[in-house]
Amino acid sequence: MVHALSEIRRVLVPGGTLIDLRPVLDHWPIEAASAREIRETGRMQDLPTGLADDEAARRSMADAEQKGWFIRERQEFFPFFYVWDSPGEMEEWIMDEWQDFIGMEEETRRATRSAWALGDGDAQVRVKVKMLMTRWEVLKDL
Amino acid sequence: MTLQKDPERNETKLLHRYADFGDKRVLEIGCGEGRLTWQYAKETRSTMGIDLDADALRVATIDRPSDLEDKVYFSLAKSEQLPFSNERFDLALLAWSF
Repeated sequence: MVHALSEIRRVLVPGGTLIDLRPVLDHWPIEAASAREIRETGRMQDLPTGLADDEAARRSMADAEQKGWFIRERQEFFPFFYVWDSPGEMEEWIMDEWQDFIGMEEETRRATRSAWALGDGDAQVRVKVKMLMTRWEVLKDL
Repeated sequence: MTLQKDPERNETKLLHRYADFGDKRVLEIGCGEGRLTWQYAKETRSTMGIDLDADALRVATIDRPSDLEDKVYFSLAKSEQLPFSNERFDLALLAWSF
C-alpha cells in the first residue's frame, strides 16, 4: 500500500489533493427501517481479517504522512447506508461480498427478520457502514 | 437483488465539501462501475478511473453518459504501478473497495 501512495504522489502535482475514502469496521448497526420507524436489530461482528485490513490502511497512511509525502488537512466519519428490500437479500449480499471481514450472529439475523416481518409494508433493512473521508495535500520538494 | 447504496447521498455531499472538482484533472483509484465517478465527473476537466476489475470497467464504460465521452476514461491498472506520467493529475480519489 505504501508503494501505491508513492505512485499516487508521483502522478499528482505539487500542492495537489488526495481524497482517501474508506470503510472502518466498528460493529456496524443493522436496522429495520420504514418511513414511520427505524429500529436497530443488532450489530455486525468485526472479523480479524477486516480489522487487520483497517489497521494496514491506517498504518500506510500514517507512514506516508511521516515520510512527509502528504499532510492531513481534514478528516471526518460519516454514515453510508446499504439498503435492501428484505433480510434475505441482505444476508445474500453479506455472504457473497462481505463474509471475509464481517459476520452476523444468528440472534441478530432472527431479530432482523422478525422486525422486518412485523414492520410496515414499506419496511426495508439496512446496514449503517462507518466511512472515513480524509483530505491530504501532496508535499514535494520544489 | 434490490440494493441501494447511500440513498441519502451522504458520500456525495461530503465529497463536494472536501474537494473542488472544477476544471481539475482527476484520477479515481478503485472506480469500479463508476458509481462515485458520475457524482463529480461533469465538473472536471478530465477524469481517469482505474480498477483491477475488468467487468466493472466494462459496465462503467457502457454507463458513461454521451456528454462525458470526451473527458471520462477508464483503464485496467493497479495503484502500485500507475501508467501515467509524473504530475499528470491535480486531484486523486482513493476509494477503498468493500
